[in-house]
Parts: sequence; C-alpha cells; structure tokens
Amino acid sequence: MKLVLEKIARDFSDGRQMRRVLFPTSLEFVPGELAVLSGPSGSGKTTLLSIMGLVLRPSEGHLFLDEREISGLPDLEAADMRLQKYGFVFQQPMLIEGLSVRENIWLALAVQGGRVPPEAREKTEDLLTQLGLEGTSHMQPRLLSGGMKQRVSIARALIKSPDVLLCDEPTSALDAESGQGVMGILKRIAVAEGCIVVVVSHDARVFPYADRLIKLENGRVVSDTRESYSPQKEDAQ
Amino acid sequence: MRSLTALRMVIHDRSSTAGALLGVIAIVFLVGQQLSILFGLLNYMSVLVDHSRADAWIVSPNIRNADAGNLISVRYLDRVVGLDGVKWAEPVLIGNGLFRTTDGSFESVRVVGIRRPSIAAGPWRYFQSDEKALLDLESVTVDRLDLSKLGAPLLEQVTEIGDRRVRLAAVTEGVRGFQGTIVFGSLDKVREIARTPPGRYSAILVGYNPGVDKAALTAQLKQILPKCSVFTTSELSRLTRNYYFTNTGIGSSFGFSTLIAVLIGVVIISLTMYTSVLGRALDFAVMRAIGGRKWDIAVVVISEALLITAVGLFVGFLMLATLLNVTGNSSIPSYFPAYVAPVLAAGTVLVSLLGSVVALRVALRADPASVFH
Repeated sequence: MKLVLEKIARDFSDGRQMRRVLFPTSLEFVPGELAVLSGPSGSGKTTLLSIMGLVLRPSEGHLFLDEREISGLPDLEAADMRLQKYGFVFQQPMLIEGLSVRENIWLALAVQGGRVPPEAREKTEDLLTQLGLEGTSHMQPRLLSGGMKQRVSIARALIKSPDVLLCDEPTSALDAESGQGVMGILKRIAVAEGCIVVVVSHDARVFPYADRLIKLENGRVVSDTRESYSPQKEDAQ
Repeated sequence: MRSLTALRMVIHDRSSTAGALLGVIAIVFLVGQQLSILFGLLNYMSVLVDHSRADAWIVSPNIRNADAGNLISVRYLDRVVGLDGVKWAEPVLIGNGLFRTTDGSFESVRVVGIRRPSIAAGPWRYFQSDEKALLDLESVTVDRLDLSKLGAPLLEQVTEIGDRRVRLAAVTEGVRGFQGTIVFGSLDKVREIARTPPGRYSAILVGYNPGVDKAALTAQLKQILPKCSVFTTSELSRLTRNYYFTNTGIGSSFGFSTLIAVLIGVVIISLTMYTSVLGRALDFAVMRAIGGRKWDIAVVVISEALLITAVGLFVGFLMLATLLNVTGNSSIPSYFPAYVAPVLAAGTVLVSLLGSVVALRVALRADPASVFH
C-alpha cells in the first residue's frame, strides 16, 4: 500500500485571475512511516493534505493509492474511499455536540448509514483505553478537556483501521504536554498499525516524532528528509 | 447511525428544536381548528338533508340549495307513492317565523313541518323528551344550544311563533342549521306560521325499498316528474354545501386563514431549521470529510425535520382534541371528520419538509475541504 503523488498542482481563482498555490509536486508515502509536512503559512501544505485526503481535486497531476488512480474519482466514489481507507484528525477535534464520545467514534464507521458492528463496539472501548480515555465513552464531548477531545478525534480516525491517516495541525490547539501525548500516539500507530501517517504542522515540537520531514515554501517542496530529525541539524542549516 | 445523529442533534439543539416544534404545532392546531369550524359549518348548511333518512328529495325546479326552493304540489306525492321500489314518501314544509321569547322579544327561527306520526326529516337526537312529543298539533321543538337565545323557555311552556300558539314539547340535541334556530312542528302548524297555501309543500322526501336499484329509481322519478327537480340526498347535500361555500365567502375566508396558518408554520420551521443547520455547518462538513455523501447529510436533515414533525403532530393533535372536546357541546360549530386527521398529518409532514428545504440546501453546501483550517 503506497500513496503516490505525481506532479500534483493546484490553482485557485480569486475571482479575477488564477493563482497557483501548489506547484507540481511528486511524493510517495509508505506504511509505517510518520511524515510531517511543514512550512510557513501559505506554503501549500494544507492544500496538499486536502488533495491527498480527496476533499480537494488537483488542477494537475495524479494521485494513486495502492496503484489505483484516485485523484479524479467522482464525488460518491471519493466519499466511499474516504470512508474505507482514510482517517482524519483535524486542527480542532470537531466532535459533534449532542453525540456521546462513542457515538462520535462510531459515526466514522456508519456515516453512510447502517448499524455499528459489535466488534467495533469492543474496539471503541479498547481504543479509548489505549488513548487514556477509559470511562468517557458515554460522556458528552463538552465535558472533556481539549487534549481529551483531540484524543477522541484520533479514536474516531482509528476505529476503521485506515490505510492512510491524515492529520492537520493536530497539536496546535493543545498545550505542550497534550501535544506530545497526541504525537506519541500517532507515532505508535504508524509503526504498530502499518499505516501511512501524514501530519501537517509548523510546530517544531512535532518534528522529533517525524520519520520524514517534508518542507514546503511558496507551494514547492524545498526539502524532503528521511533521516531522523535533530533540532541541532536544523539549527546548523 | 444517521437517524441517531439526527435525534441527538434535535435533542441537543433545544432552542431551534423548540422553534421548529412551535411551527409544526401551529400548523396542526390552527389549521385543524379552522377545518373543524369549517366542517361544523358545512354540516349546518345541509343538516336537514343529511339527517332526513330519505333516499331522494323532490323539490321545485332550478333550485340552488335545499333552503331556497319554491313550493310544489301535493299531487306529486300520489304519483310517487305508487311506484315500485318506493317504500314511503313524506311531504315537508319549511318556512320562517318569529319566536316570541320569554321576555317578549322575538327571534327569527326556521320552522320545519313534518307529517305525523311519521318523522322522516324530523329531529334525529333529543336532549329532553322524544319523538312522541310531536304527536300533538301545537308541539314544537327547539335545540338545547338555542334555549338561552330564546329566553330559556321551559318544557311544556306555551309561546308563539308567527303569532301562532305553540308549546315547547321537546328539546333537541345538535339539531342546528346554518340559517339559525331550527324548530320542528306539525305540517299544519308550520303552514299556519309560514302562511303557505294548502296542498303545497317545500319538498317530498322519498324512501326506497332495500335492495332496489337506487340510480334507476331516481331516474324514473325524474322521468315521471319533469316539472320538478329530483335529487338523491347526497346530491342535494353537495349542492347546498357548494352553494353556501362559494356564495357566502366562507370558502375563501377559511382558505385564506388556513393559508396564513400554513405560511406562519412554514416560516417558523424554515427560519429555525435554517439557523440550526447554519450552526451545524462544520459538523456536516466533518461528516462529509469522514466519508459521508450528500445523501447522508440530507438523510440527517430530513430525519431531524421528521422527528420534530412527529412530536409536533402528537402535541398539535392533543391540543386540537382537547379543544374539540371542550367546544363539542358548545354553540361553536365544530366537527372534525376522522378522515381529515391523516390528511392534515400528511399535509403537515409535507409542509415541514418544505420548511426544511432551505436548511437542507445549506447543509448540502457543507464543503468537506473546509474542515482543514
């Protein structure tokens, strides 16, 4: 299972003229690896993540998952693909108020209708325990702290054992301790579940968890480092 | 899970749920109440015809309703009685008179004369006394709900209608007409009151033998009475109702007030559901991002509307039933036929769905890409 980007580019129109926000980019992501997309604001990292997550179509290029081209999928097939293959963790937890913690998690399985399978119910409790959220499954999200909510959103992404886990600034709304906790979990998942994990972040505290650090500037990849990240090396550069 | 999500959203978003619920209740209660009065009045319009127990009415030609006919000759009665399939034929005389109340003032009443001892076209429900009370020449009836208007006369009290002596012999129940108080009496007494010539009647009512081909017999009556109009009871009832409905402004008046009630409901439902969905826009975007299709979002929004409608229907009909129970025995005309309830419920569901269309459009515009930043 590989996620391959082949000369992916994206243009946006401001109403008068087209503006290229992502220049042709080719990347390949493999399971068991936690890749961090980093760069300043407006560098195109979120656009790249949105294209990888099939919520935005590229203006040019191709996207392949497991050798199947998925960049031009019609809406319904893209939705099916997101449901079956993808997990998402957003900058804000974005849990649905009114649904309990476990119902928020189950929604990721049954958002297209149908019943939640019994094994998923057991897995929910296991996940919550692994994420340090035991005893919260029946609670309303508003009763949880920011860090706990973000961990619930990770559980929501993991309940369907996704092939690709895309995380958009998952630590930016958290304090240092909660942020490290979340990154530790994501790192464990990448290794243990054999999942492609891509994290968008400009938070330097995230970098030590990266197996691969991809830097973008002005819509272009300026560096793609697979070595273990070291802050000293960064300083020297 | 989509229905559960809708249910949880409905429960969680209390203020908007309450608003939309108010809209649904307004539709059910206001429209139901309007309809009950309309049907009550419709019943009044054709009350004598509907309760006549006759199969056919023979009346003067070119009539536009049961209350406005010319008099017809008694000789038609003899022609009808001898026909095969005719079980009975009875003359009825309808006129107007002034009822002298207990304080000496007068009230206009509709007097209906029937031949004794038969009571075809006579009172059909009694509050005090019974049909035997009408055997006496001077006996008349008034309805319980008209008693106070007529000065609360007591049973057996003697008074005058049209300067003719009458005696209140029975009190009827729910026997009221569109044109006011209905007073039943003998043919001869009503003839005196209405000052109509002898040998002429307002209508001849005909009862058929069981099992007879009613359409064929009615056609035969029309054939042998070319100078009269022959209607089946249901035809005359419909003619009378249509006449009053279209010529008195009742139809347009009730149609307008019903339309206003529906519009108020739609506006309330639309605004509250729109606000609710607007507040949930990001939730719908999240649902889309994690694999939900537009159809799934639509299912959630429509389920929300249907859940609110179901609760609203229950509360609305409960309130309506209470109102009908309270007004059932009052002078307010109210009647709610059983078949209207499912029609009103279906209409309300339709209106609720219509009200949720704007909200649905907003929800369907939720962009999954918006969840990234």
